[in-house]
Amino acid sequence: MIKKSKILSAAVVATAALMASPSQADTMNTPNISAMSIMNGLENPWDMAFTSGGDMFYTEKCKGLSVKTSSGAVNALAGMKGSKGYASTNNDLFCSGQAGMMGVALDPNFKKNRRIYVASTSDKYHGSGCKTNYEKCDGNIIMRMEVSKDMKSVSNRVDIVKDIQYKPFESNHPFGGPGAHNGNRLRFGPDGYLWATTGDRHRGVVPQSPTLLGGNVLRIDTDGKAHPGNKPPKGFDKRMYTYGHRNVQGIDFRPSDGRAFTAEHGPWQNDEITALVNGGNAGWDPRPNVGGRGDCPDKYCGYMPNQKEGMLPAKRAQFMPMSDTRFKDLMPPAWNNNGLSQGTGSAAFLKGSNWGYWEGRMAVGIMGIGFGGTPSGMRIDVVDIAKDGKSIKSVIHMPTGLTKRFRGLRLGPDGALYAAVDEGEIYKITATAK
Amino acid sequence: MKGLLFGILVFFILASSYAWSGDIEAGKARYAQNCGNCHGPGGMGLASYPKLKGKEISYLVDKLKTYRAGTRIGPNSDLMIMMAQPLSDVEIANLAAYLNAEK
Repeated sequence: MIKKSKILSAAVVATAALMASPSQADTMNTPNISAMSIMNGLENPWDMAFTSGGDMFYTEKCKGLSVKTSSGAVNALAGMKGSKGYASTNNDLFCSGQAGMMGVALDPNFKKNRRIYVASTSDKYHGSGCKTNYEKCDGNIIMRMEVSKDMKSVSNRVDIVKDIQYKPFESNHPFGGPGAHNGNRLRFGPDGYLWATTGDRHRGVVPQSPTLLGGNVLRIDTDGKAHPGNKPPKGFDKRMYTYGHRNVQGIDFRPSDGRAFTAEHGPWQNDEITALVNGGNAGWDPRPNVGGRGDCPDKYCGYMPNQKEGMLPAKRAQFMPMSDTRFKDLMPPAWNNNGLSQGTGSAAFLKGSNWGYWEGRMAVGIMGIGFGGTPSGMRIDVVDIAKDGKSIKSVIHMPTGLTKRFRGLRLGPDGALYAAVDEGEIYKITATAK
Repeated sequence: MKGLLFGILVFFILASSYAWSGDIEAGKARYAQNCGNCHGPGGMGLASYPKLKGKEISYLVDKLKTYRAGTRIGPNSDLMIMMAQPLSDVEIANLAAYLNAEK
């Protein structure tokens, strides 16, 4: 009996020791995270793109496109109207409210063709439109340019998409200024095609429109033409891969199967992560007089039923759902933000063994919006998405030690995660697996 | 009597100027509660939310009181009205003092 008890005690002690030992933590393979500011003093840095050699192109919303080369030199390449110190100036590019120069992506064949793609607001194609908020307004474009060998200038600009919708005037809504909801994140998919996100630009009819580019994810070639495999509904613009979005600022491709996932802003409820389905509908439809709703301020129901103060998110969601189950082609979200909108700004899948057991998970930057009783929630989430893309298995807050408005995330060629924050900095977030 | 009246006058002038000058530290603490979420550290301005640091006290007080009264004066009025409505005169003075002092 004594012997048995001693053995039992020894076993308990051994188990406790095992639980407390570092080796137990090692089996979890949780990466150590450290964050370091690599650039500061910027004005609203929005997005980055890297060469394989570590040169970092970046946009500033109201200034233009620059590059920080791997040797550390910073070259201002393409400025917007009124910008100073850039190698060239584009007088049609402007910023207003949320709009300006935003997404940037490098051609998969950049080493040979030197091509770079930039999304921006432009007044070049307004034509006879844009006279009011209730008509077609071609004000967001995607440009292709070529970067010089010495990385000091760009040339040969070609506008490959000229008709993404833009909000020209103020309206009676929260965040109601001109330039609202542009999407404008650019990423190349594993298929070698360019994926571009767009926003609803506060116009009720846009997201479900077959012809207006807004509230979509576009999949196009490097001349701006539709991918031949896009399958939007009959009569829809063939450049659309998906439609019915609100304002997609995050898109990336899961390394295990290449599937596209978006991270999308909610109104005052439900930010979402969604696995895209070719031709699918994200289910956002802010038109008045549909879905049981009546008239709405300035023909846009996106902040109703009460756009002047906080209210129970579930009630908002019931009145104005992010993913309306009325639609048979609805892509249900894998994740929503517990009924809150805190502003999902960007997304990047984590690649490389340095990320430990987070490898293959999606990092989502959240900017933080503290209205109507919503906790601000500035952070980066690490989301483990189920294989079928219809749910998540876990969410972990990445321990960066930073409380910032995370606007743009991009994985670098060195396996580190780079984060542009509205506070004017770019951070390098390094992971080391134990 | 004249002296007493003068004293009372001086008292009120001092009292009112004290209230208007605001408490910078208290303003900083109030700012941190929810203003900084949008306007950024020290009122630097972020995204589409305007820079506030270094603005004149009279301008800041006027804007906050206008929002508090429920008056729309720009595209983000609905948001600012919601934020300004709970503010007291003292909190407004403190916020203005803090933001004015940020350079």
